[in-house]
Amino acid sequence: MSDARLRVAAVGYLNARPLYEGLDREPASARMRLDCAAPSEVARRIAEDEADIALMPVAAAATIGDLRIVRGCAIGTRGAVRSVVIVAERPVEELEEIAVDLSSRTSVVLARLLLRARLGGREPKLFGASPRDALARIGGPRGALIIGDPALEVEGRFPHVLDLGLAWREWTGLPFVFAAWCGRPGVLTAEDERLLERAKIDGLARRHAIAAEHAARTGLPEASLRAYLDEALRYDLGDDERRGLERFYDEAARAGLLPPARVRFYDEDRRSAAPVPSLDGLLARAAEGERLSASEGERLGAGASLFDLGLAADAVRRRKHPEQVVTYIVDRNINYTNVCTTSCRFCAFYRPLGHAEAYVLSREQLAKKLQEVVDAGGVQILLQGGLHPELRIEWYEDLLRWMKSEFRLGLHALSPEEILHIARLEHLSVQRVLERLRAAGLDSVPGGGAEILVDRVRRTIAKAKCTSDEWLGVMRVAHHMGLRSSATMMYGTVDTPRDRINHLVKIRELQDETGGFTAFFCWDFQHERGTRIEPGENGTVLYLRQQALARILLDNVDHVGASWVTQGPEVGQVALRFGADDFGSVMFEENVVSSAGTTFCMNADAMETRIRAAGFKATRRNVLYEWLTPPA
Amino acid sequence: MLDAIRSKVDRGERLSPEDGIALFQHPDVVAVGQLANQVRERLHGDRTYFNRNMRLEVTNVCVASCLFCSFAKLEEGSPGAHTMRAEDAWAELEARMDDPPSEIHIVNGLHPGLPFSYYEELLSGFKRIKPDVHMKCFTAVEIHFFSKLYGMSYREVLERLRRAGLDSLPGGGAEIFHPEVRTRISHDKATADEYLEVHRVAHGLGIRTNATMLYGHIETFEHRVDHLMRLRALQDETRGLQAFIPLAFHPDGNGMRNLPAPTAVDALRTVAVSRLLLDNVPHIKAYWVSMTPEVAQIALRFGADDLDGTIVHETIYRAAGSRSPGALSVEQLVRLVQEAGRMPVERDTLYNVVREHPRASLPEAALRVRERKASKHLEVLS
Repeated sequence: MSDARLRVAAVGYLNARPLYEGLDREPASARMRLDCAAPSEVARRIAEDEADIALMPVAAAATIGDLRIVRGCAIGTRGAVRSVVIVAERPVEELEEIAVDLSSRTSVVLARLLLRARLGGREPKLFGASPRDALARIGGPRGALIIGDPALEVEGRFPHVLDLGLAWREWTGLPFVFAAWCGRPGVLTAEDERLLERAKIDGLARRHAIAAEHAARTGLPEASLRAYLDEALRYDLGDDERRGLERFYDEAARAGLLPPARVRFYDEDRRSAAPVPSLDGLLARAAEGERLSASEGERLGAGASLFDLGLAADAVRRRKHPEQVVTYIVDRNINYTNVCTTSCRFCAFYRPLGHAEAYVLSREQLAKKLQEVVDAGGVQILLQGGLHPELRIEWYEDLLRWMKSEFRLGLHALSPEEILHIARLEHLSVQRVLERLRAAGLDSVPGGGAEILVDRVRRTIAKAKCTSDEWLGVMRVAHHMGLRSSATMMYGTVDTPRDRINHLVKIRELQDETGGFTAFFCWDFQHERGTRIEPGENGTVLYLRQQALARILLDNVDHVGASWVTQGPEVGQVALRFGADDFGSVMFEENVVSSAGTTFCMNADAMETRIRAAGFKATRRNVLYEWLTPPA
Repeated sequence: MLDAIRSKVDRGERLSPEDGIALFQHPDVVAVGQLANQVRERLHGDRTYFNRNMRLEVTNVCVASCLFCSFAKLEEGSPGAHTMRAEDAWAELEARMDDPPSEIHIVNGLHPGLPFSYYEELLSGFKRIKPDVHMKCFTAVEIHFFSKLYGMSYREVLERLRRAGLDSLPGGGAEIFHPEVRTRISHDKATADEYLEVHRVAHGLGIRTNATMLYGHIETFEHRVDHLMRLRALQDETRGLQAFIPLAFHPDGNGMRNLPAPTAVDALRTVAVSRLLLDNVPHIKAYWVSMTPEVAQIALRFGADDLDGTIVHETIYRAAGSRSPGALSVEQLVRLVQEAGRMPVERDTLYNVVREHPRASLPEAALRVRERKASKHLEVLS
């Protein structure tokens, strides 16, 4: 029998225990099923409807948008919080770089707001690092934002400490709320809220026991932990805290760090219907280039007309690329092997090892293709293949080195799935694999294989493929190493509109962190002979809507490309008026989509004709979207 | 500039030829499409029409020498020229009687050597096989040609054909009316006035017709607008036009093969401006054979409310290099319409409803938004 209890997720940190511990006991346990996880995972479960209610960071709640908050319970502070601090050897005013633990988005946003306020708008460079690395790299003009137990551990070790709770209080005169119970509208009854409130009362009564347990486990001084739970942290969410949270949301939205968010309690919904922001308002904000939350993206996707979306996306495109130029690239997609072990149900291209049609391209075959690219004035190779179980990293290194030395083409090669495959096969880290490949000639990483970055969808359509976090993780590593990549989305199988929005928001979040994505492309599942899954929502109109939504939501990605290879040159051209500023690549060959039955061809002249007929100037680009010819 | 036109559209005012030029020249095709969509939804809501039809070209022998044509072969006996025996044409229908078309759409070359009785027998033979099949046959250019060849007035030609089974006229052969273009691309067939007169006479006899425009070759926007204005004037007079069908020029294998084909953006713009200017013509067709099914889907939001039909057997565009499929099933047409967020309505040739299909199922959230916003927003879809 299925468990009908509310699915409750909570951040499993010490400071959260007083709020959630009581949920494991009667009477709450009869109604709620508690599961603890890291902050980003807790937020993911709400976003992807795998949890009903979550004790989650407030920044993540704003990103999802339109959530309700339980009145009365929160993790906050009215002064020094002790566990969210910037530590350094110099005063914060003199810092040039700060290492930050990027898993805590709320703290990072808070830090950025406070730094800007203190430094008159200037902001030190922030870079992501694990807590251990961050601490190790402190020195001179480099500080670190330290969060949680590590912050308590280093108390007293650095001469300069900026306690973000205290700094917030000094700046605003208000309390700060780090996390609260959040969920979608309507999931909690008044009785559920009373259970959470009662759990809090029980938990607070056990604070000293919790401190003692934590001290025993971590070796931190018990007295310090007691004081932390007793004094530094506040577990109320009343009018003052609400004002503090609202101020935080306002400041973050004004700084462009979070989508604008309102604080709305569950009990307010019971008294009166929540005000619904108008579609026109959302569209106007989208056209202005403002950041929208996931739920606002869903509203637009469900309610806005094709034209509303197209005009808003076009406005975003114009704002980012006022020169009215559409780029394209002369490159060639080479699929070095069709041998693949993942058996994705949407793929008609792969063959098992040993199959009569299985191939690995020979050097002779490759040389012919590459020479054709050089002869056609091409600038790069897009190299992707199946997950071949017998090709070793040396084979890839040799291949890249040979291609680079013989043909001097850009190598946009090996999607995250292939990188992970090599890492697993060789028992190497992703970073090490990327380092070796880069040394062999890799220039950038294609964004293929993202499909939908929601694991429920991936498990259905591509069971053997990497998880969303793994895909994003490879891109994170690549970006941190200075490798740029594109991002993609293949929708139209079992995905819902919410899944597609969540996909976009995940890309946006990583882009906030790394800035490494150059462009975004999407297309719908190409249902044909050889694929083993029924098409879901797709069609030309949906494609245009989806591309427009992507342009609207991905406020931090420079370029959006029209996928004419899947949609056809005609629809691809129309898509240029729905937010795209790139027309993708001249097509020599492409095997994966075409084995699913889609075969279109277009040469440079035809591309430029279509670009101009759509009202733009055309120019060739390289992988970094730099213009190679004067637009004409 | 567009604002002035928008306020006219809002008030339901007739647009001027200058407005038409401005719409063709406006840089933002999406904004133009939005205006056309507003008119389309005022007239038809979400309803999107199609029928079960079958195309036949019984002869490609043609005395005319139109530059844009890749289909017609000039003389009987030249390579590729063919003329079907009436029995073979009828066999095409007999072969489909398990799922028969409701309309047979016949368009031909201007064959100089066939007797008039050939066409009469052709029509009556189809009616013998399926008495209720609608015969939409012979463009105004053919009717004009028959009139000259067989020495009859338009009225006599049409009446005799009607007695044999003719029900309505298709819209082909309009090309571009303006003499600056028409004399260059199709100098030796019915003139604009003759084409329009055939339609006028047909309308007077109660025969409904469609009209077309072949765009995207040597004509200017002014020529397109002139073309639409002439049709609008005829329609003011007769009210006999059912649908207007913009046809994209396809360059392969014809006398204008060096011209680029019009692109999808031009196709959508032409649909949109047609919808806006032809305020008295009920239906604008996104002829999927000409524009590809994908662009036709988009066109359903740029002013078009009709996809034509299942077609089966189209050969004229195929000869000019169209890569659209030769036929679509009813299921495919329904899905095309649903994917575009519209409501598929199977019709007969005269736009009587045969069957209303459901819209695509919308997610619950979308439905809620839909209800809330339906009154305010022009259109809402899944």
